[in-house]
Amino acid sequence: MGFIKNKEKHEIQYKKRKNERNLAGLLEQLKDKDPETRCWAARDLASYPESVSSLASVLAEETHLNVREAILTSLTLIGGSEAVSELVKFLRSDDASIRNDVIEVMKSMPDAVAPIMSDLLTDADSDVRIFAIDILESLRHPHVEKWLIDVILDDNHVNVCANAVNLLGEIGTDDALAPLKSLKEKFKSEPYIKFAVDMAVNKIQGN
Amino acid sequence: MHESTISNGDFLKFREFFYRKTGIIFSDSKRYFVDKRLVQRMKETGHDSFRSYFSFMRFQASGEELQRLTNIMTVNETYFFREEYQFRSLVESMLPEIVKNKEKGSTIKIWSIPSSSGEEPYSIALYLLEYWSGINNWDVKLVASDIDTEILRKAQEGIYSGRSVQNLDSRILRKYFTKLPNGDWRISEDLRQSVEFTSVNLNEPGSTRFYRNFDIIFCRNLLIYFDDLSRRRSAEVFYGALNPGGFICLGHSESMSRISSLFKVRKFPDSIVYQKLEAI
Amino acid sequence: MITGKRILIVDDAATVRMYHRTILEKAGLEVDEAINGIEALEKALETGPYDLYLVDVNMPKLDGYGFLRELRMQDIPQVPAIMVSTEAQERDRLMAFEAGANYYLVKPIKPDELLSYCKLLLGKGKRQ
Repeated sequence: MGFIKNKEKHEIQYKKRKNERNLAGLLEQLKDKDPETRCWAARDLASYPESVSSLASVLAEETHLNVREAILTSLTLIGGSEAVSELVKFLRSDDASIRNDVIEVMKSMPDAVAPIMSDLLTDADSDVRIFAIDILESLRHPHVEKWLIDVILDDNHVNVCANAVNLLGEIGTDDALAPLKSLKEKFKSEPYIKFAVDMAVNKIQGN
Repeated sequence: MHESTISNGDFLKFREFFYRKTGIIFSDSKRYFVDKRLVQRMKETGHDSFRSYFSFMRFQASGEELQRLTNIMTVNETYFFREEYQFRSLVESMLPEIVKNKEKGSTIKIWSIPSSSGEEPYSIALYLLEYWSGINNWDVKLVASDIDTEILRKAQEGIYSGRSVQNLDSRILRKYFTKLPNGDWRISEDLRQSVEFTSVNLNEPGSTRFYRNFDIIFCRNLLIYFDDLSRRRSAEVFYGALNPGGFICLGHSESMSRISSLFKVRKFPDSIVYQKLEAI
Repeated sequence: MITGKRILIVDDAATVRMYHRTILEKAGLEVDEAINGIEALEKALETGPYDLYLVDVNMPKLDGYGFLRELRMQDIPQVPAIMVSTEAQERDRLMAFEAGANYYLVKPIKPDELLSYCKLLLGKGKRQ
């Protein structure tokens, strides 16, 4: 009893990983009925860009959170346009938690997301446009401010514009001031817009 | 070189951003503390306006500057019985629950990562010896890991300054330490043999592959310095390393709300910890 | 009489939290904030009990539905919750009630509307 000393030979029960770790083996384990097996497979598949579509299709059906997280992390690590185009589909999901998870991981893939950003910002679905602005939060790209300004000038959905205003307050420059003020006119009857614009303008002007 | 100042708007912008990233909120009374450090980093990175520094730091791909900034904005000292309330939780809340569901004869495994110079894992060992009656009925395996092999070597040596042991009462000091001629304290050979120190890189998948079946993990004041993706990965490693029902403790200003959704929040009288449940 | 009652605002957007805070503090409420469902749960456990929750749906790590479900399972006094979202479909409204919300409001919320619902729910006391 007590502490197991370093000098003692102690067999720590490591759960044996008898499974194959090549691509074929991992893809099979990804569909195993044991969630822990699926989880380890998902994690190891981060080294296999060719597994993107398999990872995405399992993600669509996966009910265990730890497997889902492992798949999302692997897709993020793999990166690239294929992973992004698979992830984007989940922005339209009815499941709030997968939507929000996908937004989060897409924030960690700025290079892969940048090329599709202007499409997302003009999507027919206002929620997708809102989520696109969420993703913009960590995007390093010369057009971010311009995109946000375009949104508040052209978009007619109050919550899309509201989201853009929030971000402009943080990263906007003097260029954003006039468009922001015009937004108050566009949504004259919305106290929130007035509040948010005033806050953003104050932040940009460095008060 | 003119004196850079941080405006009210700058401070609010920074505060909001930092709270979002770390969960730490600076009250207005911390203005001087925060401004001083922001100005310091602005100078050191060659930015003469807060705006350009903020933009640089915010969008940097590597996240290095935010890490460095977080480092200087937080207190990083390590010493024995730091954040002692968690050790109390360990003994009074976590271990009782663990042993209730544990097979007799099996080993209780505790992981301390980062070990740093060893104060944390040795503190755990001391606390269990002194305050947990169960230590006589259970085998306990204590593993302590760090990425820095030099600091691991120091930890294995077990030599500490007076400052590091100042929270220990003299009884414990006398019982488990020897005072060295230069005024430092060396922890006993028996305790040094009670902790297995290993080299681990959380961001390297191969490094943690065989860390499994832990009942308790202490990962305090590490993940706060990681970027979002590394935090996720680390949380996944810890989740896989824990037994169902196992617990993980973070630093006092850290929260899973900035790290991962995998764990269940558990409130004990002395602290909030996180638990891996059976199946989710 | 709602003065001094405590409300937890849960939303990942700082501006939205500030907007709601401004309205509610003016009405005499004590306001705390959380950035997502996990932080909200921690606050409910650590610095609770609150008298009312104002909860956004879309948040990272733990969304509004998840938070309410977790909250309703905790061994703490259960109080009313208003769920807030940008979506207006019926299915989201039903999900909100199933998760444990008392009302479901669509953003952006006008100050009078917010105050009316808060007064209504704070007058009730324990969750019905």
